[in-house]
Amino acid sequence: MAINQVQSIKDSLKNKIRPAEDVVFKEFHTKEKYIEALYIKTISDETIIQDKLLKPFFEISSPDLFLDYLQSSPLVISFESEQKSLDEVIKGTAILFYQNSIFLFDSKVDRNNSVLDTTVETTIQGPQSGFSESLPTNLGLIRKRYPQTSLNVESTTVGTVSKTDVMIIHDAMRADPDTVTRIKQFLASIDVHMFQTGEQLLDIIKKSNRALVPVMLVTERPDRVAVNLAAGKIIILVSGSPFAVVLPTVMKDFMSSMEDIYQTYWVTKFLQILRYIGFLTSLVLPGLYVAVTSYNPELFRVQLALSIAGSRMSVPYPSFIEVLLMLFMMEMLTEASIRLPKAIGPTATTVGGLILGQAATEAGLVSNIMIIITSSVAISNFVIPINAFSFTLRIMKYFVLALGTLFGLVGVVVGFFMLIAYMVKLDSFGEPFLTLIQSKPSKE
Amino acid sequence: MKLFGKWGWMVIILLSIFLLNGCGFKDIDKRFFVVSIGVDIAKNSPKKYLVSLKFAVPSPSKDNPNEFAIVSESADSMSEAVRIIKTKVDKEVDFSHAKVIVLSEDVVKEKGNAGIYYWFSRRRDIQGIAWTAIAKPSALAVLKVNPKGESMPSNALLLSLGKEGSETPYVISEFIFDMKYKLIERGIDPILPIIEAKKDHFEINTVGLFNKSRMMLTLNPEETKILNFLRGREEKSASKVTKGNTTIVIDTHKVKTKYKIHTPRGKAPFIKVNVSVEGTLEEATRRVPNENLSTYEKATEKSLNREVEKVLVKIQKANLDPIGFGLRYRSRHFNNDDWEQWKRIYPAITFKVKTKVQIADTGLIE
Repeated sequence: MAINQVQSIKDSLKNKIRPAEDVVFKEFHTKEKYIEALYIKTISDETIIQDKLLKPFFEISSPDLFLDYLQSSPLVISFESEQKSLDEVIKGTAILFYQNSIFLFDSKVDRNNSVLDTTVETTIQGPQSGFSESLPTNLGLIRKRYPQTSLNVESTTVGTVSKTDVMIIHDAMRADPDTVTRIKQFLASIDVHMFQTGEQLLDIIKKSNRALVPVMLVTERPDRVAVNLAAGKIIILVSGSPFAVVLPTVMKDFMSSMEDIYQTYWVTKFLQILRYIGFLTSLVLPGLYVAVTSYNPELFRVQLALSIAGSRMSVPYPSFIEVLLMLFMMEMLTEASIRLPKAIGPTATTVGGLILGQAATEAGLVSNIMIIITSSVAISNFVIPINAFSFTLRIMKYFVLALGTLFGLVGVVVGFFMLIAYMVKLDSFGEPFLTLIQSKPSKE
Repeated sequence: MKLFGKWGWMVIILLSIFLLNGCGFKDIDKRFFVVSIGVDIAKNSPKKYLVSLKFAVPSPSKDNPNEFAIVSESADSMSEAVRIIKTKVDKEVDFSHAKVIVLSEDVVKEKGNAGIYYWFSRRRDIQGIAWTAIAKPSALAVLKVNPKGESMPSNALLLSLGKEGSETPYVISEFIFDMKYKLIERGIDPILPIIEAKKDHFEINTVGLFNKSRMMLTLNPEETKILNFLRGREEKSASKVTKGNTTIVIDTHKVKTKYKIHTPRGKAPFIKVNVSVEGTLEEATRRVPNENLSTYEKATEKSLNREVEKVLVKIQKANLDPIGFGLRYRSRHFNNDDWEQWKRIYPAITFKVKTKVQIADTGLIE
């Protein structure tokens, strides 16, 4: 490269990066040679620069030998284009100007690389640690759990402003190549400014950016990722997020916990049935209560009908307002206990759950049976192992409730069928959402 | 139109829908549940019937769960009575839990009550599984009985008729849908249990047999038990047998009845009834050794044969068919005039009863 060309690139780079406190442009001199380095010190690891760049620079006296050193170092990439260099600099790479060449020196600092404990998808047994917030560490965690040479890792960036590093990981022997291309196309088509974490994909996948049911599984567990890789799924890792996205995901995956493979067969089956029952209870119960108490009380046994009628005697509002009131209270409690500091979280739950419920019954605002229904809805909602899906369920029950209020038992049945029909329509990268069969590994 | 956005309109429409809950929407506390219906003949009144509805009064506390209210009205028809009763109560009358229907003896003895019998089936809100019974001395008296320890009004009747509670061979219970079917079907006639109202309990141990329009015959408790054996519905019972100067009582575990209608050519038709009884000795006036059990079995068989035949002949003499011999005959004969044939055969048919009794043990260790 000609000297004037290097000079012009240097000037243009210096112009494009606005002067800031942490932008460093420095020259290093020895008797025989000098080097110029441009980097941002807050996102660059200065110990790497010290150890891998400056020490050799002062130790190797011959200019040619040092050029050889630079060219053969694994941290150094040669200059491709000005834009690429700029993109790299703002991620922590140092640009070196030495003699007549320009090098990119990888000095990115790897912060937040400590492995976190699982907090969302906790299990009683099995591995207890999750991902970290650092992309290389996460990749390392996956590689450690999935030691296969066929593991394919591709890198790309998402986000016009955030330029977040995203890795697409799959086992070339097992994953469906069509799905892989579809996912790559999807990632390439994403148009957002800030891309912070994989969960954002849940919405982006819909053209309208308004999704109800998630069709990707976001997990914090490396063991789940490894198991899914072996099942031929594709993993997306996002830099700075301790969550991995598993694709394609169907409802069966949302209803499975990692514990399923850490337990004995019948225990697993029992727990799975329990989850589906919990799903149904949480979805249908509020609507069913309104429909049965207000439209079809013949469905109850006569003893129950009379006791509900008795406990509703003092309630001034129709049943659906009673249900809405109580569910609203419960949603508030759930939402509040996420926001509250850990230390006072339990207090809020106790105050809300016990005292509010008790007081509401005694004040005659809601019936006793309603308290039972609300709490069983709340509890069974959290039986769903994957959080994203249990949040969806929280919304879906209002749909059934509304139809139950308007049309009685028929409304509940029709509402349930409409939700089923909606889920039948969904697919996750070509995989039908309600499928019971995991995508088969291809026989290559 | 620009006042609200697209979502604004949606919200407003949704809110207004919530205000418009149609006539189907009626909260459970705005309904008055009828638990039993009674029909009497109206006295001192130009109207024909006295219809009484027993309502369960729900109470917010668990202290007195057995509160009820009885509202009566005389009218010429059920619907008329119910319409007027509606004006006497403050909440919507709901028949969906009316599980007991009692018709007084006077009503069922009369002809021309088909309107009432079918009214129960025609109403969509009265469940087909409501128990139907005959009331003695009157339906109102039965409704008024307040047995001790009842957890809800009419629960005692529900328990004894439904055999959820006490299981006894002296009760033959009948659903309203079954009664309607038997009123129409050729070859089987309705049986209704007779409930006798006492001071604070009921006595249900006799039955009334219907032809297609009214009650024709009542059976005493022992005959009721035999009829129950023949219908094969109840297995727990007791049979008393006297042999010489020893009287024993057998507690039966298993009673099975099979019958077959034989119409041999050129000979008189007959019905072969096989009853097999298994049980243990429950009571004996004298010591009964194990090796003598077979002689007691024989004696029991003999007396049972006699009793069963007596009941069958009594029912036959009244030209009733509660067991459904006629239906059986019709189901096995496919000629067009099978029903006419059966009507000719039945009054003259003979019964050949054969019982097999097995006494498992004496109940004691020797």
